[in-house]
Amino acid sequence: MFNARITVPPQAKAGEPVEIKVLVRHPMDRGGQSDGKGGIVPRKILNRMTATYAGAEIFRIDMNTGVAANPFVSFCTRAVETGDIVFEWREDGGATYTRTARLTVA
Amino acid sequence: MRLSLPLMGLLTVMAPAQADEIVSGSTFLSPELRRQQDDPTRNPAWFWVDQGRDLFAAKRSGGGQACLDCHADPATSLRGAATHYPQVDPSSGKLLNLEGRIEQCRVERQQQPAFGYETAEMLSLTAYIASLSRGLPMSVRTDGPAQPFFEAGKAFYERRQGQLNLSCKQCHDGLVGQKLRGDTISHGVGTGYPAYRLEWNTVGSLHRRLRACSLGVRATQFDYGSPEYLALELYLAGRAKGLPVETPAMRR
Repeated sequence: MFNARITVPPQAKAGEPVEIKVLVRHPMDRGGQSDGKGGIVPRKILNRMTATYAGAEIFRIDMNTGVAANPFVSFCTRAVETGDIVFEWREDGGATYTRTARLTVA
Repeated sequence: MRLSLPLMGLLTVMAPAQADEIVSGSTFLSPELRRQQDDPTRNPAWFWVDQGRDLFAAKRSGGGQACLDCHADPATSLRGAATHYPQVDPSSGKLLNLEGRIEQCRVERQQQPAFGYETAEMLSLTAYIASLSRGLPMSVRTDGPAQPFFEAGKAFYERRQGQLNLSCKQCHDGLVGQKLRGDTISHGVGTGYPAYRLEWNTVGSLHRRLRACSLGVRATQFDYGSPEYLALELYLAGRAKGLPVETPAMRR
């Protein structure tokens, strides 16, 4: 079951760096185990996370099987305007998940 | 007088090694893991609490009642509930832990199929209800009808078992603070469970942790919710009397 906990500062000044913290619920199954029927379980992880803010991609991470389940990511960006930061995760198999967080710039 | 301050500092540092009192498992975490546990933006166990809160409010299929319909305002009405488990169910005379009580409510009152002990739903509801008692001291009853269960748990705790012929007591009373397979031996109080264990990469119940201990000494692993582990859980909760509930905790 996918879920995300995104933490942004309640308010930021324009031009100021802000820290964005993202915790995701995902088993990040690396696959390869027997499925009990002669086959193997395919890999199913979130292989990419991107963050878009003020019309630009501000952060991207490609994840691999070495990343633990329920990964935590934090990064910094510069506050420019009040708006939504849009997060998108790409899962093996083509599914995508989207969450947004509002950044208020005073 | 000039000496007293450094001397007191020295005594404080030495105190944990000397003191015989039972302390929480969090005491033995690395500072970094402890910071992660105490920070809701980084502790993944809160996802299970969130899921439990949703399940608690969800209507059951076929027009059945939600948990919330009886237990209105759970933040007040169920605050402290988890500190009294395991307890003896007066009607059946059986020992029930929090998981057992939730399952009983679901099957008998909500007329729904049982969740099963280690399912995500059961872990979420248990974590949510236990989290409502965060910070409150454990206060299970160990007398009256609970006494035979408590005695059985104590006997289990003190009995040598498994190929390694070890009792719980030998490590969790005798070797507390020393190392075992890269981890620090704690007093074995379960006040943080259901907890997120790094080894599991997920949230698990106290009985799952006990099964890991049984495997570790190459002894019989009892089933989830078995009488043996329930009695042991009561003994551990009795030992932990007065320690705060820490669910959802993080453990190695």
